[in-house]
Amino acid sequence: MRDYAVLAKDHVKVDALEKVMGTAKFAADYKMPNMLYGGVFRSTVPHAYVKKLNLDKARALPGVACALDYTAIPGKNRFGIIFKDEPCLVDDKVRRYGDAIAVVAAETPELVQDALDLIEVEYEELEAVSSFERAMEEDSPKVHGDTNVNVKKHLEYGNVDEAWAKCDVIVENTYSTHILSHMFIEPDAGIAYLDEQGIMNVIASTQNAHYDRNEVAAMLGVPQNRVRVKQAVTGGGFGGKLDISVQLHCALMAWHTKRPVKMVRSRSESTMVSSKRHPMTMKCKTGATKDGRLVAVECYMTCDAGAYSSYAPAVIGRAPVHIVGPYECPNVRCDAVFAYTNNPMCGAFRGFGVPQAAVCHEGQMNALAKALNMSPLEIRMINAQKVGSVIPTGQKLTESVGFMDTLTQARDKAAEVMPEALERLTQD
Amino acid sequence: MNKITVRCTVNHKSVEVETAPNKRLLDMLREDLNLTSVKEGCSEGECGACTVLYNGEPVTSCCILAGQAQGADIVTLEGISPDGKPDAVQQAFMDSGAVQCGFCTPGMILSAEALLAKNPNPTEEEVKQAMSGNLCRCTGYAKIIEAVLMAAQRRREEGQA
Amino acid sequence: MKRRGTGVGCMFYGVGNTGLPNPAAAFVQVLPDTSVHVTVGAADIGQGSSTMAASVAAETLGLEYENIQVSWADTMYAPEGGATSASRQTFITGNAVKNACLTAMGELKRTASEELNVPEEDLVFRNREIYSGKDASVRMTYPELMAAMGKKGRLAVGAGYYNPKTTYLNPADMSGIPYELYSYATTILEVEVDTDTGEVTLLKAVSAHDVGTPVGIKMVEGQIEGGTAMGTGFVVSEKIDVDPKTLAIKNPTLSKYIIETCMDVPVVYPIVVSSEGEAGPFGAKGVGEPALIPSIPATIAAINDAIGSSFTSTPIFPADIVKAWQEQQAAKN
Repeated sequence: MRDYAVLAKDHVKVDALEKVMGTAKFAADYKMPNMLYGGVFRSTVPHAYVKKLNLDKARALPGVACALDYTAIPGKNRFGIIFKDEPCLVDDKVRRYGDAIAVVAAETPELVQDALDLIEVEYEELEAVSSFERAMEEDSPKVHGDTNVNVKKHLEYGNVDEAWAKCDVIVENTYSTHILSHMFIEPDAGIAYLDEQGIMNVIASTQNAHYDRNEVAAMLGVPQNRVRVKQAVTGGGFGGKLDISVQLHCALMAWHTKRPVKMVRSRSESTMVSSKRHPMTMKCKTGATKDGRLVAVECYMTCDAGAYSSYAPAVIGRAPVHIVGPYECPNVRCDAVFAYTNNPMCGAFRGFGVPQAAVCHEGQMNALAKALNMSPLEIRMINAQKVGSVIPTGQKLTESVGFMDTLTQARDKAAEVMPEALERLTQD
Repeated sequence: MNKITVRCTVNHKSVEVETAPNKRLLDMLREDLNLTSVKEGCSEGECGACTVLYNGEPVTSCCILAGQAQGADIVTLEGISPDGKPDAVQQAFMDSGAVQCGFCTPGMILSAEALLAKNPNPTEEEVKQAMSGNLCRCTGYAKIIEAVLMAAQRRREEGQA
Repeated sequence: MKRRGTGVGCMFYGVGNTGLPNPAAAFVQVLPDTSVHVTVGAADIGQGSSTMAASVAAETLGLEYENIQVSWADTMYAPEGGATSASRQTFITGNAVKNACLTAMGELKRTASEELNVPEEDLVFRNREIYSGKDASVRMTYPELMAAMGKKGRLAVGAGYYNPKTTYLNPADMSGIPYELYSYATTILEVEVDTDTGEVTLLKAVSAHDVGTPVGIKMVEGQIEGGTAMGTGFVVSEKIDVDPKTLAIKNPTLSKYIIETCMDVPVVYPIVVSSEGEAGPFGAKGVGEPALIPSIPATIAAINDAIGSSFTSTPIFPADIVKAWQEQQAAKN
């Protein structure tokens, strides 16, 4: 490594002082004069048409400034980072438990709850699609449009069909990973207000202020330069604060009431409606020569992506590219299908499908090692990517491929701090 | 709803707060006294982000009613270094890289302060025990434990100097 | 019975969005007293993108870290930052900051060249001084340079952005260049499994990460330590339960969704591995997501090693372990 004047050293982080002093302002810490509190009326069924919605009693409650449904939205009622398939407020049908149907702003949080309790809704319930398998059946109800296929990908590299004949050993396994929650320690929160120039300001806990700005502008039907989104100090995200949380609802209510509106999600509400990790099933066949070199990998991956796309198109793009892991393999095929269901929405979560892919490729490497009576470290070193390696998209790696160094340095450190454990690993 | 009057000491000053009887100590501190370093992460005493010192003991203020603070001595992170300069624990959190998102940090620091007030020379195991009620999703805790041990050592060295 | 097991987990991770443009930008101004404003769009969620921006700016400009003031993620003043995701901000916003600094340095170099009578390409900016790379005795301080800039009516301002060099992937077979660079990691992890209760104790984890050039050592270590906690929890403690009828999440609270405490995490030995490259700012790559990934397969493998099981699914909870162990013992008898 070069001799840097500033990098590769330790400096006190630029935001550390206010965080240890307790003065860092998170979204829930903002207060403004004349501020209202906001809350969301959410569906308690997973799939249904809204037949009747009555906001009159909520509106009549003293201290309630507004109770709004989708008809109050001046601009677009569809958002999403890649596919615009999620409503700000349900207009056609409910697609998951917890879909936002109406919003309320009132003078106190207690009044917000009272008003939410006064909202009446009637549903015409539909069969809920609760699994990938059901989603793929011809007669299944469709969550969006006329197909439950959310995204499909096909990766093809080399000649997989011919490659199997060259393998001395082939292992086949099915891997599955489950649905997980980010559990960032700060529940989502935000505040919106119109400033003296009539610009809609939103201060929120977020991972992408510019994306939020674009969505707020589209929802209000105003130019993007008439919206300002400022990231509050944000208490973790891990991907779970990449989707819109309270930004649109706060802005919509501030727009109608001309007063600042603050929303703070409870832990339960935050976990219930923010995105989750995609659960994936990966059926994988891997072949190698008797000296441990990978010859071919074929994988079929499926995923229940939940009710809305969120980052599913990004996850399905990334997982096949990474399905072999950090290894050289000349023949690779991967087919991936992600489906819409009425389950909780999955989205970005630290790794975008690569953790799931790693469960598969590392499981396969271990299975190969076992079949070949090699140590798990050895088989990884034999196949390790290096400068000049080609990955399954045909890209040749030209620099900064430090994989072998991570293997050897981890091994050497393990020899020092956990020698017996390392010995167990290498004696197989 | 009738209000109640809570008289207690908050950050070394006597206060008298008119508040609703159903409010939690967390709400009273954040809303009535504007002490927003006290964070709400879970509302059920699991995460420790709302930790305050209650007569010197770390407690989760989401699990205590405001009325229960009657006569108590409450300290929040705002009361740790009234001169505006970081104390040994706060400085150690900065120096050891123990701060990432910062949402758990106030509760972490208060748990550490409570420990060090009683036990100025804790073992790593004792630090872990004392901090086990505070969840952190970012750091994996290693640098937080390191910070508490660093603060303890610096305080002992200062005491000797 | 308590049994120990060891597992290894490896990964590579393409930094930035897959086969898509994903630019980020930065504004920089060096003020007359040599303090600096850097403004980036990148949202800092505690991982340290703002600290990264300050570090890259200081390194590029030849000033000190303490000279840099960073503002971030306010769309009124900050240029596009893109998402804080895909471990992309060190690479992309870092390059944007570097490019903005290089633009601002156009006037700084021109002025220093005139003052020192040294060709611009020979100038070195480092530690608040500007000197000739050919003769270090020919030098001036940054305050002197800014004074000269002031006299000549020149400003050191720059805007810069960076978009990774990728291609769209061919929809037929996904061929193309999905990412400009990749991070790598290996984790070796040891567990102890109680075959009676199914409880898994996470003992030690060595986790080595190729980050190209580390922007800050403790920041990289903090990512690795935090990622290892999340990755081990992925396997042994965390799970969302969905009600089969309402399809509602049944455990949306921290009392029912269990993340690790400081008593549960393994002892982590983070290893910061460097590698040579030009793509990232001073060779830096992302580590946010890589920090998580290898401990997941390593934990699965360690449990399998401990009890001779062949788990291929997550999570692996105590009941699963007890069942697997008992089935295995029954099969032996």
